[in-house]
Amino acid sequence: MTAATDMPGVVSGTIRRRKTGPDWSGALLNGYLLLFFVYMFLPLIFVVIAAFNAAPTPSATDWQGFTLRWFMELPQDTRFIQGLWHSLIIASGVICLSIPLGLSGAFLLTRLQSSAGTILYTILVSPILVPGIVLGVTTMIFWRDYFGLQAGLLTTVFAHTSFIASYCMLMFMARLQRQDPSLEEAGLDLGATPLFVFRRVTLPFLMPTILTASGLAFLQSFENYNTTFFAIGSSWTLVTEIGSRMRFGLSPMINAIGVIFIALTVIIAVTHTLMARKRA
Amino acid sequence: METLVRTYGRGLTALFIGLVGFWILLMIIVPQIRMIERAFTYEDRAGETATLALAIDRAYTEKFQLEQELSGLERAGPAVGQMPSAPSPFAPSMTMPSATPVAPAIPSLPTPGMVPSASAPSALSDEDRTARAEELRDQIATLDKEIAELEAKEDTSSGEAGMKERISLENFTSMSGLHLKIFAMTLLYALTVTICTFLISYPVAYAAAMAETRGKLTLILIGLVIPYASNELLRIFSWVMILEKNGVLNSLLDSLGLIDLAAGEGFRFVASNGAVFSVMVYAYMLFMVFPMYNTIDTLDKAQIEAARDLGGSIWKIHTRIVIPHAKPGIAVGSIITFMLSAGTIAAPEIVGRGLHPDWFSQLIYRRFFEADSWNQGSAYSLALLAACILFILINMAIFKVSVRDIAK
Repeated sequence: MTAATDMPGVVSGTIRRRKTGPDWSGALLNGYLLLFFVYMFLPLIFVVIAAFNAAPTPSATDWQGFTLRWFMELPQDTRFIQGLWHSLIIASGVICLSIPLGLSGAFLLTRLQSSAGTILYTILVSPILVPGIVLGVTTMIFWRDYFGLQAGLLTTVFAHTSFIASYCMLMFMARLQRQDPSLEEAGLDLGATPLFVFRRVTLPFLMPTILTASGLAFLQSFENYNTTFFAIGSSWTLVTEIGSRMRFGLSPMINAIGVIFIALTVIIAVTHTLMARKRA
Repeated sequence: METLVRTYGRGLTALFIGLVGFWILLMIIVPQIRMIERAFTYEDRAGETATLALAIDRAYTEKFQLEQELSGLERAGPAVGQMPSAPSPFAPSMTMPSATPVAPAIPSLPTPGMVPSASAPSALSDEDRTARAEELRDQIATLDKEIAELEAKEDTSSGEAGMKERISLENFTSMSGLHLKIFAMTLLYALTVTICTFLISYPVAYAAAMAETRGKLTLILIGLVIPYASNELLRIFSWVMILEKNGVLNSLLDSLGLIDLAAGEGFRFVASNGAVFSVMVYAYMLFMVFPMYNTIDTLDKAQIEAARDLGGSIWKIHTRIVIPHAKPGIAVGSIITFMLSAGTIAAPEIVGRGLHPDWFSQLIYRRFFEADSWNQGSAYSLALLAACILFILINMAIFKVSVRDIAK
């Protein structure tokens, strides 16, 4: 054990010594990385610039002065506000459904190790691997044909849940694999009812993951376009409304929304990454 | 199963099974089955309605001709209580075939001389005229009944009840050459996007996994997560701003003096297959980076250093050590990227700006909402689904990974 861990240390020591000379491949890799980040961020920066540009069509190059007008106009746009409400309603519905479904799937799968488990697993993760529009299409057809339910907010909740529950399930499974089964067994041996053990041992253990999974479910549902496009029917969410306006690109208001999205993303991404680093 | 009941008790186990059953049946299996069912059911709706409409038209034309003849008789004969008017210039034709095509005209013509092809009533005796009028009225009544029946039938057939359905492959085989070409091109583009994103993102994933210090790694990860977590539409739209006629790229060309934007020069980069392609490479790049990073990260760095010490070339180190180790990550990245690019409707809709030659996802949308042919739409989405499943299976075979490796 010690020999095995010592060896790489020794080797990397020699490598580090060699690296004092010019490390061309390392420099090349760093340069490439820099170029890649420029490629990733520059387009987003153009979106941000245009959001503050007074030019009436979104433009990053034709600078006509700084303005906050496009942000001020956002709350007056009833379709955006209505869409935002729809998105929030759908996302809450998705959380309420995905968490119990994901938990149930995870409980069943961690206790089933046979080939039945593999089949069940394949079925339950399949929605992740299916193109989003296919999920939208099947949900729309199914609820209309069998229940006479027209495409709308409710069908969108079902369409989102079908794959978001799979993501939640995978997160719960990862967490359950790190659970010490002896805790539950000890509780049962000491005469607690399974329900009591579930409430006092299993759920508290899963609580952090339930919170992260809810956050993920919310974001996934809120940001979804391809599935929603089919499942929403004649209604709309914030994102489908943005999408239909982007097609014509008439107003920098979409850039203003974009800036809000990017700002939220940066906050979430930075805190999440820093927290994950700290935990590791 | 026993351990399940022992740990959670009967009630909770039943609840879990019930919820998973609800999920599988109502959200996964039965909706898919319904789509497959529709895909293989050909509705002969258009054909039947068309035939009906034709029959109704024909009946109306016939009725109109008979009425013309009748009104001619009525005008001519005193037996029906009217003064004889100017004789028709046409010869009497008692056996006028109803099939004679008559352009529908205004039914009651005030000037009898203009009545086309009505028989010349003056050539007939009163009795004959009365008999003929009776005969015509009978015929018209029969036609009225026939029209009513046909119209009732037409009403029901526009609802689903009257639809003529049959199990067949026609929804697939009736795919026109153009649609088939779009299908093939969409898959080809998706495959190319997958390969391009792999080539571009492999060094990035490698660099992230090999980051020497924790600070550098954190910086790289944040840099990757921000564009990854930005909305898909935003990433697509950012490229529209670059590629548009008044966009960044043309401005750049303008400032280089290559084109003159003010004079209306400039390329319309958007709304082309190439534009959709490059936008997708950008938008789905990070779905390739993260799975690869996750697998390369678990590689024991000592292996690379050992190989380097033993004189292995960079090429050899990657093809013999890093890539074989990263196989599951590459498989996952490829599957996700391919699935997203083949199935996206956001990219072609937004980049296309309504002008773009179709992407297969847009065809599916139009089958449903413009052609109102849900069964054909189902067939098209089933074709897309089948292509994606095939791609997954090929990937699993090439990279020798299982489903459990893919979805983690």
